[in-house]
Amino acid sequence: MRLLLTLILFLPLIGGIAVLFFRRHPDRCRWVSLGVTLADLILVLVVWFGTDPMPGAMDGRRLFVDLPWIPALGIRYFLLLDGISLVMILLTAFLMVLCILASWRSIADRAGIYYFALLATETAVMGVFLAGDLFLFYLFWELQLIPIFFLIGLWGHPDRVRAAVRFFIFSMAGGLLLLIAIIGLYLIHGAQTEVYGFARYQLMNTTLGPAVEWWLFGAFLLGFGVKIPIVPVHTWLPDAHTEAPTAGSVILAGLLLKTGAYGLLRFGFPLFPTAAARSVPILLTLGLVGLFYIAWIALTQQDIKRIVAYSSISHMGLVVVGLAVWNEIALSGAVIQMVNHGITTSALFILVGILEERGHSRQLGDYHGLWHRMPVFSGFFLFFAMAAVGLPGLNNFIGEILILMGTFQEWPAAGIIGFIGIVLTLIYFLRLVQNLLFGPVDERMPGDDITQREAAVLIPLALAVLWIGLHPGPLLDLLAPSVAHLADLVGGNGGAADYVASGAM
Amino acid sequence: MKSLLMMLLLFPLLGGLYHALLGVRLDRRWSEIVAVAAVAGSLIMAVAAAVVAGGRPVIFPLLEWFSVGELAASMDAMYDPLAAVMAVLVTFIAALVHLFSVIYMRREGGYARYYCYLNLFVFFMLVIVTADNLLFLFLGWEGVGFCSYALIGFWYRDAYHADAARKAFLVTRIGSAALGIAIGLFFTAFQSLSMDYITHHAGMLSAGMVLAIGLLLLAAAAGKSALLPLSIWLPDAMAGPTPVSALIHAATMVTAGVYLLLRLYPVLVLSPVAMGVTAAVGAVTALYGACSALAQHDIKRVLAYSTVSQLGFMVLGIGAEDPTGGLFHLLSQAFFKALLFLAAGCIIQSLSGEHDIFRMGRKVRHALPKVYGCFLIGALSLAAVPPTIGFFSKDRLLLTNLTHPSIFHAVLWIIGTLTTLITALYVFRLFFLVFYGGPGPKRTQAPEPGPVRPILVWTLYPLAFLALAGGVMNLPIGSWNFLDRYLMPVAGLGPPLEASPSLEWGVRIGNAVVALIGIGLAYLAYGPRPLKEKPATAPDSMQNLLYSGFYLNKLYHRWVVRPYEQAAAFLSNRVDHGGVDAVMTGSGRLASRWSMNLRLWTTGRLSTYLGVLLAGFTAMLVILALGLL
Amino acid sequence: MIVPFGHVLFLAGLLFLMGAVCAAARRNLIMILMGVEVMLNAAGLVFVGAALHWGTLDGQAFVIFIMGVAAAEAGVGLVLFYYLNRRTGDTDADSYHTLKG
Repeated sequence: MRLLLTLILFLPLIGGIAVLFFRRHPDRCRWVSLGVTLADLILVLVVWFGTDPMPGAMDGRRLFVDLPWIPALGIRYFLLLDGISLVMILLTAFLMVLCILASWRSIADRAGIYYFALLATETAVMGVFLAGDLFLFYLFWELQLIPIFFLIGLWGHPDRVRAAVRFFIFSMAGGLLLLIAIIGLYLIHGAQTEVYGFARYQLMNTTLGPAVEWWLFGAFLLGFGVKIPIVPVHTWLPDAHTEAPTAGSVILAGLLLKTGAYGLLRFGFPLFPTAAARSVPILLTLGLVGLFYIAWIALTQQDIKRIVAYSSISHMGLVVVGLAVWNEIALSGAVIQMVNHGITTSALFILVGILEERGHSRQLGDYHGLWHRMPVFSGFFLFFAMAAVGLPGLNNFIGEILILMGTFQEWPAAGIIGFIGIVLTLIYFLRLVQNLLFGPVDERMPGDDITQREAAVLIPLALAVLWIGLHPGPLLDLLAPSVAHLADLVGGNGGAADYVASGAM
Repeated sequence: MKSLLMMLLLFPLLGGLYHALLGVRLDRRWSEIVAVAAVAGSLIMAVAAAVVAGGRPVIFPLLEWFSVGELAASMDAMYDPLAAVMAVLVTFIAALVHLFSVIYMRREGGYARYYCYLNLFVFFMLVIVTADNLLFLFLGWEGVGFCSYALIGFWYRDAYHADAARKAFLVTRIGSAALGIAIGLFFTAFQSLSMDYITHHAGMLSAGMVLAIGLLLLAAAAGKSALLPLSIWLPDAMAGPTPVSALIHAATMVTAGVYLLLRLYPVLVLSPVAMGVTAAVGAVTALYGACSALAQHDIKRVLAYSTVSQLGFMVLGIGAEDPTGGLFHLLSQAFFKALLFLAAGCIIQSLSGEHDIFRMGRKVRHALPKVYGCFLIGALSLAAVPPTIGFFSKDRLLLTNLTHPSIFHAVLWIIGTLTTLITALYVFRLFFLVFYGGPGPKRTQAPEPGPVRPILVWTLYPLAFLALAGGVMNLPIGSWNFLDRYLMPVAGLGPPLEASPSLEWGVRIGNAVVALIGIGLAYLAYGPRPLKEKPATAPDSMQNLLYSGFYLNKLYHRWVVRPYEQAAAFLSNRVDHGGVDAVMTGSGRLASRWSMNLRLWTTGRLSTYLGVLLAGFTAMLVILALGLL
Repeated sequence: MIVPFGHVLFLAGLLFLMGAVCAAARRNLIMILMGVEVMLNAAGLVFVGAALHWGTLDGQAFVIFIMGVAAAEAGVGLVLFYYLNRRTGDTDADSYHTLKG
């Protein structure tokens, strides 16, 4: 079973290298990539159904590998799979299959390198979700940038280079801050304990002065905040999402943004509990401001893809709120919301991509009355838009309600503002739906409805939306022990200290 | 029992899913059969469940939904008398409307979409009615909002319909936000979301909390039930097909807000301020709706404003501590308003889509005598003429306000009585214009009324019967108050305050007289005689004020919509693009300007590099040497 | 050891300085290369002197390496110059500034 974890992690990369050998035969590349991602998904499912939380382990871990890698620096090959990681790699594996399918026809040139980049991203993202060693985490964290940079820069839309460079610089700047903070923490910890190491369980025991802790946490927050993105540092996102090819947007929105929130959840808060507790009001404010601010900005956008991209920021703002509140309910909500956002936003990006393939435009003004011409497409669009605005029974509602109810326990005012913010989300999504789907019938509008391959991408997403919306029990059960452990870990936060995490043992 | 409830909910759900998944390939006839059968089955289940439950409240966990920590959202059903009454009402009217739709919509495309939403609507409405868990209720609450959105915008090709749909969805969602916040507060207070639990432990709440929750519930109800100041969406919602207006925007969905207040009445009643505000909002809404209905030209808009007004009455009753009276009026309104809407649908179809009442006239009466009869019964009931159900329910609400100890309610009683007068006036204005109007300038171009299919008219009869004789279910005489007694087991619901028989009869006769005066006034102003174009003697400004519903739309546009859009444009252009992003790109530009200076060092000449190298080494050596010294 | 260590260091320093000045001041590529060679030899001289002074062989062994590297470097460098000269007919170091930023 230990080998399984490594296999899941590196199978896509190996597959990607294999794809490079077929790069003269685009079709073979596609099939190999599809096979590899499917195999990886199956492996993740095997882990899901084949493992249980280890008895005795507090954090609900299911599998782990812990080997020395660079002993001189105390760097370990430490992978750890608990409920949260499992949910995240499940999402990764799931979305990657759909990414391969979604770019089946749209990528014709340099297909080999394209699929290599996709598969390399999968390994990097999974590495982020699995790494328990901070150095390893950072390695994968930066590794994600490279394939995504090329995905945007080579296969994107006309303004792709600028967007790619912007994305890279923003991420890099955040990443370097993160690196400095990691090294700082490593040195402080080493000086205190005479044991130099990057593993999470080691670094957790560091005692830090308030000022140092504050600075290190600030660097972590900024590094992760750029990726999430938290509002003042979000401006790279609309460009990157808009200019990326469909699969690139899906990966960016569905997976990369999650790595930021995941980093905060896994390292940012647990490593610096006191500073994190002090930053809660700031984070709540930023998350909620993001919710409102983005709702306003998205209303004025003309580019369909940009509107969807902005909606990402607002959904992730809610995730930040959930993380800031840090109790069992809100944390579960935050993780579920990450998954939800990955599903609905990906679906919307795929739909916009489908529309663009047919109509060769992304401008809202160029479309109207699509319902008449493409009823199935329109049905899907309405469905996912409704999921995105948090209609109960669909997935986003579960995440939102958990986050907000958790927020109500600690910060009722923030909960109230959050509810109001969700209404505003409806405004710009209805504008989108209204302009695209409704209005006079026009025979010049694209009329080829969804193909079978596209349906094969959208139907699993729709099923996932319904599954999480109506029966999120299995996912929440997966999360429960790990989330309860995390909620306990940062006890001094809000009123969560006296919170008895049932079932954590 | 559990299986009955499951089937009650599953029939319309499966019907909806069936249409959603197989919609495009469905034959029209088959689609209609499935849709009607689903609702009919649901009606049977609702009645059967009511019989089996026998007036006792029963709570069943139907399905697990999700639970984390203390937050447990399970799909629990509560079938107490209140739920039973509502479930039977909803399925009954839904069944009639589905049947009506089969004929009414026979020439429209998109039937699968229509029946899908209609069936789903019934499902979500039943969820609201039977839910015990607040989040489960919220599922239904938002679900009906969505279905209403989709059905108002059913004729999506016309931008006007789509806009009306969007408006309805948005405004009701404001109410939903209030409900969500209320749920959050309930959760913090009780750590439980079961309404059964909450209503039985409402006493635990602090005074401030009760007030906040009470007002939030009122706001939630205002959104769904189109009370002031959120009433603006309902008149526009008439853009939907007429059967939809009858079902959703008259009889069922709009009463969901009232139902919520009834369900959580034990909480609401704890806060006198919230109760007072509720009553006041109800009274003002009633008056507002009635006045606005006076000046409308569109037959459906008259009825829509009338619905607003009647919803105000229901809430007025709840605010005056007579929730059962509110429910009674809810039932009575559902009957006569559904009747009026469906009759209006017959008229509209007969006139091939004409909505303007000034283009209708006595020809309609000659062409549709049966519809005329049914409409008359509905109008009498709405005008509260004895012995219709409308008379008994409205009379009770007014009496409750008068007997209420607070002087404040006496004022509300005056408003209510005034509204009764205006109600009789506007409904008979409508009636006379539609059925007795002589030839006028506008009428010369009016379309000729054609016959309608008999099935359309048949669906009116049960409603007409109930609108006429339904009062029997709760007569204020002796032990004829069946509804009061049936609802006794429900927390908070009971018979109204006792009043002295003389006062009671005085008010009753007074109300009847007021209604008759209203009809008389309408007869004088709009009675059967040739009309000039502008029959109303009111000045133009008054006419416009009423016609536009007191300019409420304009006010919203000026004070809410436009500032919102301006803020959006400002934030997008100035702040996001010009501010936040400028800071980011500015710092980037600063860095690149620095690098412009630094790159001067890169001359590309070997000599420079070597010279700098040597100079650097020398400097380092000197520093080291000095350090050693 | 007959020669005092200080003298060896002084000579090596002088040689190094001369080589450095030659490398930095001259424009001709051949001369720059020669200056570098002189600097390397100066360094080698220090190694040899130090090896004798402390009586270990490490320094002498290192000189062998330095000589080897210097020879290789001179070979590669001269070949490069030869090709450059063939292509442009110019041995002035400052004519090659395509790497200017």
